[in-house]
Amino acid sequence: MSFLNLVEGPLFSFAAAVFLFGALWRLIGIIRIGRKKDISPPKASAAAGFIRGNLRHFIPRGIFAKRTMVHIVGGYGFHLGLFVLVFFGAYHIDFLNERILGFSWTAMPRWAFLITSAIAFAGLIMLWVRRISDPVMRLISNKDDHIGSWLTFLVMLSGCFAMEQAHDSLRATHMLLVDIWLVYFPFSRLMHGFTFILSRGNSGATYGRKGIDL
Amino acid sequence: MLMLAAFAAPAAAQSVRPPGNAVNLDDGIEDGPSNALGDVSDTDIWDNFRGGNPKDILAPTREGQMMTTTGQQWRVIREKFIRKYLGWAPLVVIGLLAVFYLIRGPMKIAGGRSGKTIPRFNLSARVAHWFMAGVFIILGLTGLIILLGRVVIAPYLGLEANSVLTSAAMQGHNLFGPIFIFALIWLFIKFVRGNFFQWVDLKWIFKLGGFFGGHVSSRQFNFGEKSWFWMVILGGIVISVTGVIMLFPGLVDDIRWLQLSTILHALGAVALIAVAFGHIYVGTIGMEGSLDSMLKGEVDENWAKEHHDLWYEEVTGKSAKEEDAT
Repeated sequence: MSFLNLVEGPLFSFAAAVFLFGALWRLIGIIRIGRKKDISPPKASAAAGFIRGNLRHFIPRGIFAKRTMVHIVGGYGFHLGLFVLVFFGAYHIDFLNERILGFSWTAMPRWAFLITSAIAFAGLIMLWVRRISDPVMRLISNKDDHIGSWLTFLVMLSGCFAMEQAHDSLRATHMLLVDIWLVYFPFSRLMHGFTFILSRGNSGATYGRKGIDL
Repeated sequence: MLMLAAFAAPAAAQSVRPPGNAVNLDDGIEDGPSNALGDVSDTDIWDNFRGGNPKDILAPTREGQMMTTTGQQWRVIREKFIRKYLGWAPLVVIGLLAVFYLIRGPMKIAGGRSGKTIPRFNLSARVAHWFMAGVFIILGLTGLIILLGRVVIAPYLGLEANSVLTSAAMQGHNLFGPIFIFALIWLFIKFVRGNFFQWVDLKWIFKLGGFFGGHVSSRQFNFGEKSWFWMVILGGIVISVTGVIMLFPGLVDDIRWLQLSTILHALGAVALIAVAFGHIYVGTIGMEGSLDSMLKGEVDENWAKEHHDLWYEEVTGKSAKEEDAT
């Protein structure tokens, strides 16, 4: 078995299983903690607040928008860019079709892939640079944040390096980093990819129940 | 040796002797025309095929000629000059900086740190700077691999390793190129204010920036910083335009633009990489307190008074000299 087959085959299956079960385990764990019982009579629906809290956070607050512009532009550029690259990049659709799902969908054209990659890279670099430049962000960031950022960057960079599809070693490097990223994800702050719903929802539900207009 | 030569001589004579059953092919064949090569020399024939002056890379092709010589000239410039010598420029700069550091040492803040700081760069300016720095490093590394891989990597790591690295570098370089254009525009918007040359810069030039002693006045940016800024902007524009031409060759209808683009792209990039080492040196180990401005956004007051006294007075409303006296 070649190294490429190893990282695309058994190692990928193992990493994907760790990712799925680990993320599920973390999410169930968080939900099981539950919330402190609120005995005051509700003024409005907590469930509606949960949903509103989630949606409201997608739009920056007017008074903070200018101050957090780098965060907003970088955040949206990176997260949306990465999502589009993973699920609409021709290479990824082929991989998912052949290895996991058995069906495919329309991929975006190569020019769109390149533009999206550039946006995603720019966003990620902006976010990390802000993390080290802003004194508050620097203070609240720890090793986990930096490892998560750099691991994601290396996964993307190795994918970019392998785009010519001329060398198996480049593809194998990309897939090895993907495997490591999948295993690292559930046990790190990368989990915010799932937990943001609970976090925003919790705040939204708390305020919603109190009748506060978000 | 003589004995070896003695044995070798008959063997060599034997190897050129025709076999016994060999047929003489010349038998019965008449001689061809005596002027088979014609009256025109090879040089004249090729001169008629190719156009332009071989030494002039920018000259247009003469009408009716089948090929240009610019491709050959481009190859010579790239192989004999750029690849052979230009790659050394960053190393030479590093060497000079090392010698300078050993002789001069770091520029310490004269009165030591005061413990009081004043804001110099806001968050978005710092992010713009580090964003450009990150993209510049990625493009610099991948670009140098593309340009010099065959002469620096291949002889030591082998052709296969060079092929893999060059393929990766090419993809990375092409993808990060457009991000550089975005970074350049962002950097320009954030830093152009205060980077226009002023009369006070002349004093900085005459005193060689104070690197060899003496105090030099300057506003928010001194002559060295301003020169670096415009070098990045103008060099960046050259690199960006030539890079876009190379990414989209269909944009130009004459191959000489592409040849010129590769040369200008390499010259501009290597020059910026070389000078960037000077920028990094002054911003880190070369000058005490400089790095704070880009890491924390604030600088020590004594640093500001020493290196940017006019800016200090403008920002604080206090006199840099009076403060020194107290």
